[in-house]
Amino acid sequence: MEVIAALLRVSIREAIQYRASFVAEIVVGALSAAGIAAPLFLVYARVPHVAGWTLDEALLVTGFFLLYNGFVSGLVEPNLGAIVDGVRTGALDYLLVRPVDVQWTISFRKIAPSAIWDVLAGVAVIGGALWRLGPPAPLASVVAFGMLTAGIVATYGLWLLVVCTSFWFVRVDNLRFLLGAVTDAGRWPVSVYGRGVRIALTTVIPVALVSSYPAMALLERLDGSLAFGAVATAVVSLVGSRAVLLFALRRYSSASS
Amino acid sequence: MSRVLGAGPIARLRHVIVAWPSILRVAFAGMVAYRAEMIIWVLSATLPLVMLSLWNAAAGGGAIDGWDQTAFTRYFAVNLVVRQLTGSWVVWELNWSIRKGDLSPKLLRPMNPLVFNLAETFAALPFRVVVLLPLVGVLAMWRPEALFLPSPAAAAGFVASSLFAFCLAWLVQALFGMIAFWTEQSMGFWSAWFAVWALFAGYFVPLALFPPSLVALAQVLPFYSTLGAPVDVLLGHAPVASTLAIQAGWLAALGLLTALVWRSGIRRYGAVGA
Repeated sequence: MEVIAALLRVSIREAIQYRASFVAEIVVGALSAAGIAAPLFLVYARVPHVAGWTLDEALLVTGFFLLYNGFVSGLVEPNLGAIVDGVRTGALDYLLVRPVDVQWTISFRKIAPSAIWDVLAGVAVIGGALWRLGPPAPLASVVAFGMLTAGIVATYGLWLLVVCTSFWFVRVDNLRFLLGAVTDAGRWPVSVYGRGVRIALTTVIPVALVSSYPAMALLERLDGSLAFGAVATAVVSLVGSRAVLLFALRRYSSASS
Repeated sequence: MSRVLGAGPIARLRHVIVAWPSILRVAFAGMVAYRAEMIIWVLSATLPLVMLSLWNAAAGGGAIDGWDQTAFTRYFAVNLVVRQLTGSWVVWELNWSIRKGDLSPKLLRPMNPLVFNLAETFAALPFRVVVLLPLVGVLAMWRPEALFLPSPAAAAGFVASSLFAFCLAWLVQALFGMIAFWTEQSMGFWSAWFAVWALFAGYFVPLALFPPSLVALAQVLPFYSTLGAPVDVLLGHAPVASTLAIQAGWLAALGLLTALVWRSGIRRYGAVGA
């Protein structure tokens, strides 16, 4: 834990070195949160229900999406993105020789502090929606938190898998953008999509797990089999990606040899 | 530096025009060499489809302000295409080359690096559109009734408006990229612009569905001219002449501003000692 705390301190300093750009990033956080929520307000100004969700219910989904977005852009993307560069430039070697488990150092080496605004916006949106919907049952909140965690873990595993392909194909950094673009679909309740897309969003790219499932849990609409499936997806994704990472590292011969 | 020695403005312009076809050829070859990356870039811009899903579900129970599911499909399909037609990457390139000093060798070429980049960007357009065809094809299969044949007038207006939008979008990116002359890193500013742009350009929501009090304002702001204008001109949601006039006004203003900022930026760049 001490190691992680030290790593985080360094990355905060790294992020604020270009000061003007950093201030702009704070503004961006607020603006993009507004941008994500604004279409919802425009839609619901005209229709009361979309695919069975009211405005407040859909805002719950958006809030969880913002939380998740903050996590990905603050922690997953900077770290796992750095691995791709590390493989190409050989900088990864320096991490591998450290006496800490490699998955810890590559996953928690950096943090993008500007992501905190996404997280705060997410909390505010969820809080606002719940204030109007009434407080959820304690059990529902626990399940929602569990679903959010499962979704984040599943996403982390998927990212790690994509990043591991860089040990074989050196130039995969653009795949990250594609992954980011696809997860954008998580900002709406998953039931607005057609059947094919819906299945893809719960299994292949499990973004619905992160936004729709926690919201459904809070609204007590999530049945047990879906919740169980989400947890199973997370476990499979975590264990599988760790196995692939260890396998990839075994045959990694560094850029210099 | 960036000009042919001893040449007047007319000779310089002629120089650019003569070199243009070769630049396009070189740029196109470069594009084909990095085709896998280009395909991923193009496929990453699928946010209009996410927006379409929301509006499509909302219009499932009946038209919204006269917009039915077909109208939304048309709007976001054209939106997807125009987004690619107006795409460029000069803000990333300027940021990178100013901070790393890569700009210096480019300044030694007998052509302004910005003009060169504009040519490169233009050469990438056919490729971008070809990559999009399968996506548009899927949309057409999903909702065949959305296929339509624009009137010749709308089509002509669309071509002109798209060309304006392409130039405007490129100028805006160049301007934000050049902020890096002063701050070294300007991607934060660009992201801030993008966040406001996405709302007011008609990227997320057709301008026609904005609150009425905002529509007139949004039409004259620069955001709409770079994306929503060509879409609305093609689909008949906006009057052709006045839309083109607003775009032309922004084009003149931003073109002038870009030239001025480039001049003082390049002086500042030299002063850093790079």
